[in-house]
Amino acid sequence: MSNYAGAADTTAGAANPNMNASEIDSHQRAVSYTCGDCDQDVQLRRGEPIRCRNCGHRVLYKKRTNRMVQFEAR
Amino acid sequence: MPEPTAEELARRNRLQILPETVSDQTSTDFPGHWPGENHEWNLEHFRKNFKVQFHSDGTAFLLEKQNHAIPKHRRIDQVFSLIGLDASIANAFRRILIAEVPTLAIEDVFIYQNTSIIQDEVFAHRLGLIPLCADRLSLHNMGWYIKPTEGESNGNELTDENCVILHLQVKCEWKEGGLEKAAKGETNPNELYVNHSVYARDLVWQKHGRQLEWPEDDPVRAVYPDILIAKMRPGQEVIMKLHAYKGIGQDHAKFSPVATASYRLLPTIDILKPIVGADAKKFADCFPPGVIGLDEVTSEDAQKHDELQGKEGELKAVVANPFNDTVSREALRHAEFKDKVKLGRVRDHFIFRVESTGQWDSDELFLQSVQLLKTKAQRIKRGLDLMMK
Amino acid sequence: MPAPPQHEQVEDEVIIDRGELSENAEADRDRIRVLAGSSETAASFQFDGEDHTLGNALRYIIMKNPDVEFCGYSIPHPSENKLNLRIQTYDNINVYTVLEKGLNDLMDMCDVISEKFVVARDGFYATTTDKNDNDDDNGGQQGGEEGGEAMEE
Repeated sequence: MSNYAGAADTTAGAANPNMNASEIDSHQRAVSYTCGDCDQDVQLRRGEPIRCRNCGHRVLYKKRTNRMVQFEAR
Repeated sequence: MPEPTAEELARRNRLQILPETVSDQTSTDFPGHWPGENHEWNLEHFRKNFKVQFHSDGTAFLLEKQNHAIPKHRRIDQVFSLIGLDASIANAFRRILIAEVPTLAIEDVFIYQNTSIIQDEVFAHRLGLIPLCADRLSLHNMGWYIKPTEGESNGNELTDENCVILHLQVKCEWKEGGLEKAAKGETNPNELYVNHSVYARDLVWQKHGRQLEWPEDDPVRAVYPDILIAKMRPGQEVIMKLHAYKGIGQDHAKFSPVATASYRLLPTIDILKPIVGADAKKFADCFPPGVIGLDEVTSEDAQKHDELQGKEGELKAVVANPFNDTVSREALRHAEFKDKVKLGRVRDHFIFRVESTGQWDSDELFLQSVQLLKTKAQRIKRGLDLMMK
Repeated sequence: MPAPPQHEQVEDEVIIDRGELSENAEADRDRIRVLAGSSETAASFQFDGEDHTLGNALRYIIMKNPDVEFCGYSIPHPSENKLNLRIQTYDNINVYTVLEKGLNDLMDMCDVISEKFVVARDGFYATTTDKNDNDDDNGGQQGGEEGGEAMEE
């Protein structure tokens, strides 16, 4: 069972430094993928061919979001 | 009023171990059980008869076995005897030790990133089970965090007094020149990657508010730094924030302060007829080492027992240290020892062994369990008083 | 009837049961019930949030009271946190006083145990300067030799 981020994170813990939601906008909505062959980072914008710039491989993997997920340690 | 002799009392306290059965299991120290005897509860009598004995503990052995983050003088695996107590009371302490003495453990896990192959929920579960330690006075003074239940406003606020926050952030990367080494056929992960294992030592405590006043030299940390939480490969990363709260074992085993808390009754071995020569050696082998000793038959012995006449100088079996007996009953399986030995246990001698997970010392835990039993009675009494008003 | 209730200071530490705080005495009052069919000399009590831990200990100490004809406890259902305690007494002795005495005796016993435990522990610590060489009468159960040398302080 898990709850998506919400009230639970309002504690003294402070936000995680690695959360950088605004970064996505600054790349003009470029989305970062991982190449299925060479493991390179691939930035794709809307309409671009789905292809690795480095090796030409056509399988790209979506990355996991930095969105916080809450679990109980049970 | 007739007072039973000490011998009679010892006999009554003896639980018998027979080849296939046990007998005299239950306590008989109640008023009305023994005609004409007074067995009423008497505090002074109890005070006189109750004894505590400490035995050498296994802490050194336990800490020797593995890397640990607690000082050497801590005693986390103690063995002690409580003598002159009823099983119901001893059992209450054992149960409280396992399920009701509170400890601090990780309860909420906020996962920002986890690209390791351990699933989030499994990762969280593993984190919960890591024994933590910290300054014990500060831990003692911590309050309870009660989670609000869904849709209700019960529960209490998260504060520096009831919540400890830890961070876990590890990213695995290639070592310098690791790729080349891998190409050459190197497979040892220590040579190829940095941070390929996430250990309990990677947990970092983030102090808040009053926690800044907690002693510097005793931070919140894992008792055993080498506990492996996950393994990773280059590019994988975990970033999480953890909330540790105080809880009790009844709620979840991770809150249990002990690995085990158990007791056994002191074994007794009575040699009824002398066991001599080769039989004595065989008899000793029926028990763990050191339990049965071999003594020479003296002329005095020979005079006392007809069987021993002319056997001076031979070896006879004597009971050396019944404490270490496992009560395997092996001696009862051999025809040559028939009617020569009687096994038993002392019904009111409880040998406790309290193996702490490291947050508290074993003796502190036991004292807390006694205090908790008292608190239970106090609360019932308070409720009863109010009810009777 | 029992003597007027004396309010003893209940230690505030660790007053928790299955996640429910009860710092106020009212909560304790609500945890006790007398089941139907009770009389002065025979009653069944029901305690919320208690189990064998208190049940068996209380049963023992109440049975040590010569005024008690019968005392027994049960957990009516394993998935309910409830404890039933039955007390029957002789000669018009009031069950409530018997229960109260049982609780007092149990608390006294706890004090003696704590006291004696601390004395025995401190005595033991005093005799074992180095915790590794405490080769006392009965011997360690495990690890005596191995742990001995390696850990010098």
